[in-house]
Amino acid sequence: MNKLKPYKLLICLILCLLLWLVNLSLGSVSIPVEHLLQRLLGIPFPRSSWEIIVMEYRLPKSITAILAGIALTISGLQMQTFFRNPLAGPYVLGISSGAGLGVALLSMAGTAFGWQFMQASGSYWSAIAAASLGSIGVLVLMGLAAWKVRDSMTLLIVGLMFGSAASSLITLLAYFSAAEELKMFTIWSMGNLGSTGWEKLGLLSGAVLLGLLPVLTSVKAYNAMLLGENYAVSMGINFQRLRWSMILSTGILTGSITAFCGPIAFIGIAVPHLARLLFKTNNHTQLFPAAALLGILVLLACDSISQLPGMATSLPINAVTTAFGAPLIIWLIMRRNFSEEF
Amino acid sequence: MDGENKWHKAETPAIHAAGLDLGYRSAQGLNLLASGISFDLQQGELTCLMGPNGVGKSTLLKAIMDQHPPIKGAVFLGKENVRQISDKERAKKVAVVLTEKIPSGAMTVLELVALGRVPHTGWWGRLSPHDQSVVNKVMDMTNIRDLAGKKLAALSDGQRQTALIARALAQDSPILILDEPTAHLDLTNRFEIMYLLRDLAKKAAKAILVVTHDLEVAMETADKLWIMEAHKPLLTGSPEDLMIQGGIQNLLPGNKWQIDAASGKIRLKDPARLPQIDGPAHLSHWIRNAFRKNRELAQPERIVVSEQPFSILLDFADQKEEVNSIAEMIGFLRLRAKKNNSNTSR
Repeated sequence: MNKLKPYKLLICLILCLLLWLVNLSLGSVSIPVEHLLQRLLGIPFPRSSWEIIVMEYRLPKSITAILAGIALTISGLQMQTFFRNPLAGPYVLGISSGAGLGVALLSMAGTAFGWQFMQASGSYWSAIAAASLGSIGVLVLMGLAAWKVRDSMTLLIVGLMFGSAASSLITLLAYFSAAEELKMFTIWSMGNLGSTGWEKLGLLSGAVLLGLLPVLTSVKAYNAMLLGENYAVSMGINFQRLRWSMILSTGILTGSITAFCGPIAFIGIAVPHLARLLFKTNNHTQLFPAAALLGILVLLACDSISQLPGMATSLPINAVTTAFGAPLIIWLIMRRNFSEEF
Repeated sequence: MDGENKWHKAETPAIHAAGLDLGYRSAQGLNLLASGISFDLQQGELTCLMGPNGVGKSTLLKAIMDQHPPIKGAVFLGKENVRQISDKERAKKVAVVLTEKIPSGAMTVLELVALGRVPHTGWWGRLSPHDQSVVNKVMDMTNIRDLAGKKLAALSDGQRQTALIARALAQDSPILILDEPTAHLDLTNRFEIMYLLRDLAKKAAKAILVVTHDLEVAMETADKLWIMEAHKPLLTGSPEDLMIQGGIQNLLPGNKWQIDAASGKIRLKDPARLPQIDGPAHLSHWIRNAFRKNRELAQPERIVVSEQPFSILLDFADQKEEVNSIAEMIGFLRLRAKKNNSNTSR
């Protein structure tokens, strides 16, 4: 393992903090960075409305973006190394489709089955509960599949199939649902970082921390996995334990983020590649912190862009992450020696 | 054969197994690949495991690695049953070089070799000064110190194989197992790798087991050969003994091929009849070689080959012909064979 590159991590960290400030200052009401810094030192904002905007809305939103950035990239990195597949991402095990199915049942099944699940307005908590149940359901199914099949490629295909099955059910529900409900679901599926208030943020950060714990004990195992399963096993790595740790960790991380923010696209696939590219390493002791910081950086940047500074509305976050992620992935794959570098 | 030698020291072998049955259980029942497999792998020796494809060599390796337990019997690493030690303990006793491709081209040689320390490091995988000195030592032993910073994708096949051997060495285990380490390598690299392994067996007192199909290299370098045949016990012994006693012929099922007892090479069996060839041995050898390949040639009563100038006299009862190259000889004899055929058919 070559030397750590702390200076690169430090640069990323500083950029993260700067971008966080920028992110807090941008929005329909622009708050100058110097006032934010002064507020940090205890000097109150010149306008009391700013206090409410920052403390009640922008700060929890930016913290959500930070948590989501960490959770999705760490999941994606685990998936890519575990499956040795550069296009694996946090959603390949069908977690987000499960969450989507949960929300779709909640928001659209009313018309389809003539049930009255929710009031027209809907409650955010019930969406979280539905998405969580959906994620957990898929996670349990994947657990059963993982228990039955030992081959990781088969597991990957089973995950993709679960995802497709859930999507087809969603399509059916959408077909029979009323326009208003369909719009509600569509908006959920565009992702939203801004609906987590402080009370939900506690729960979300708890879930993300819980999902990160298995990663801490598997860093060495992921490095060994770079040589493939058989070499890893020959070096004493407990492959079955790594597999369960991977399923649990990515399940909790992506499941909780999807439940609270909807399915946020591309970050999980693209940012691990960005980390490998910028840090020029495959060593997970560096890649995990690097990917986490870059995840924060990218999602804060995407969120800042989606604010459309100076305008009253903001874009859905997925439109921005995808607009950023798709060209990045195309560029990565077109690189001549992509397969050698992965 | 081995182990019954009166000068042989009665050490505990690095790997010991007696009466293994290897195979797979499936819904259809038991698919037994090999039974009654017994062997001792000795410290300080290079052993080559040979046998046709599908005979169970990989299954045998998996039994040693505790990845696929035998149907019957047990494998002992030193004195311990491999089934009863932890993965980590086993990794400290056995290191492997596998046939599969290493996916990570971006990894450097140094990073690859350092991965060999995985069983010895803590949960974060941090290298201690001792770990680093082991990594440096094995890179010196395998002569790849100057490749340390190179990406794996930039290495030649021979260099990559050497780097993989260095990684296995860094695991600091008394036993090394290599699955076809010389496949895809050119002639010199095949010998380089095998002599490196032989050197390691002697100098570092490793017990090294190499699965190979390369009889020529095995004859040159191995201390012991294990020959595996379908559903038969393992045939073990020194390559020379097995050659003299004919055990090596078991590698060649059917009767099309034979092993040349003098050179240790595989060749087509001699035709039932060969002409008498007079002349220096190194020349007559190649004339025989030409006859072995070209079985349709007409056969003279006698061939006299002489050097300076090189000439071949083809002596038939009705005709004598002198030619100056083997290509010419083949051309002449092929033509004559055709004439003979058309004469007899007419």
